[in-house]
Amino acid sequence: MLQVRDLTTTYGAVHALSDVSFTAPAGKVTAVLGANGAGKTTLLRTISGLVRPRSGQVELDGKPITDTPVETMCRLGLAHVPEGRGVITELTVEENLRLGALGRAQRSGPDELERVYTMFPPLADRRGSPAHVLSGGERQMLVIGRALLSKPKVLLLDEPSLGLAPRVVAQIFALLRRLVEADGLTVVLVEQNARGALSIADVGVVLNLGRLVVDDDASALASDEQLRHAYLGF
Amino acid sequence: MQQFLTTTLTGLTLGMVYAAFALALVLIWRSTRIVNFAQAPMAMLTTYVALTLIEAGYSYWVGFGAALLAGLVLGAVVERVVIRPVEGKAHINAVILTLGLFIVFHSLAAIVFGSRFRSFPAPFGLRGLQVGDRTIALTGFGIFTIVSVLVVMLLLVALFRFTDLGLMMRASAFNQEVARLLGVKVGRMLTLGWALAAVVGSLSGLLIAGGSLVHPSYMDSVVVFGFVAAVLGGLDSPIGSVVGGLLLGVSLSFVSGYLGSDLVALAALMILMVVLLVRPGGLFSHAPARRV
Repeated sequence: MLQVRDLTTTYGAVHALSDVSFTAPAGKVTAVLGANGAGKTTLLRTISGLVRPRSGQVELDGKPITDTPVETMCRLGLAHVPEGRGVITELTVEENLRLGALGRAQRSGPDELERVYTMFPPLADRRGSPAHVLSGGERQMLVIGRALLSKPKVLLLDEPSLGLAPRVVAQIFALLRRLVEADGLTVVLVEQNARGALSIADVGVVLNLGRLVVDDDASALASDEQLRHAYLGF
Repeated sequence: MQQFLTTTLTGLTLGMVYAAFALALVLIWRSTRIVNFAQAPMAMLTTYVALTLIEAGYSYWVGFGAALLAGLVLGAVVERVVIRPVEGKAHINAVILTLGLFIVFHSLAAIVFGSRFRSFPAPFGLRGLQVGDRTIALTGFGIFTIVSVLVVMLLLVALFRFTDLGLMMRASAFNQEVARLLGVKVGRMLTLGWALAAVVGSLSGLLIAGGSLVHPSYMDSVVVFGFVAAVLGGLDSPIGSVVGGLLLGVSLSFVSGYLGSDLVALAALMILMVVLLVRPGGLFSHAPARRV
């Protein structure tokens, strides 16, 4: 379970986040929605420690992690897949995956690598290729697979659907749903594609100009016509 | 034929030293986008460490090991103390700091070790080897030069290709943010990168000094050739820096042997210009030209 309390993050004089509080329940998908500039990416970056908040708390399973260095987050079970996919294109597919397995408390065996390859067959065919040859969808598979190798309890995903074909997005979303149901993973999913995100999310929060507008069940958000028109664009 | 062979062998030996120096520059450039102008005086200082020990009666090899170790420590200290505080600011700040270090280390060496020329021993013969009844241009020390640089390069390749540590260092070099998110302690990797680069730099310093004279600015001309070699190979490519070093060494040796040694510096400049015009990213670049 990931809990965010009164989080305020500023860039100079600009308040990117103002007093944001919500809970991402364990074993569920929490969608973070809102227009461009609403503060979604800043929220994830503050949670994972890439950006320090001005005030407020982040707790992972009840333990405060607000002051934890970024480098230690993945050992605590928090994996963050940044926007723009975060594939290290100069490394090979397999090297990217190995890197994911390095950042955890105990080392993983080769079978876990194989498990990722089974989950994403296109990656298995290209394990020795440099990652820059991968397509957008394959890159998304790679970063999710890499994050999974760190054995996270909580997975933060920033815009996984960005620039992908609808069919590929559906595949990725279906896979996330499976991971949540099979492994009990907790997912915080930042999306512009609100309709798609709500279709797989259990709960959702909507941000607007750095403030939390609403925090409710995904189905309730999806059926609130006024909210959809005002903030979600569908 | 005899002259051709001599020129080639001299060039290869010299090229190996340029390659080592270029590799030291590339290792730092690749991970931090900084051209380390202090590389030459750092290598000069560590060579003086070796010389001090050797003159105190220790063997050449004790001095050799101590110089490499001193390079390791000096590289790490420079990164931590001088470069780290300006990390995240414009790269030009760090580059200017390395220029400052260049001057500081020069003066320091002159104060501590004196600025007169001192001769530095070589562990192997400096006479050309005998093949049949002919003497070729390859000396025992030349062979040692080629072998030691090759060994260091193979060790580095093994480190980067086959170890987890090397993987983490490469990840830190290519994408600091993602590396951090994956639990890599990027700061430590950068320190280690500078330390290793300084070791390679120290090696080039020892090899230039071997059987020759040491002076606080004896490494300065190597900066120019090492830098040209690094650009020739593409500043991002360690393999490129080695090939660039060898190409440059052989080309300059031919210029010196057939056209006259006055033209060597000019030829290096010509080569640099031609490479920048024809292939701005260097011979081994696969990325499009980098913005400067």
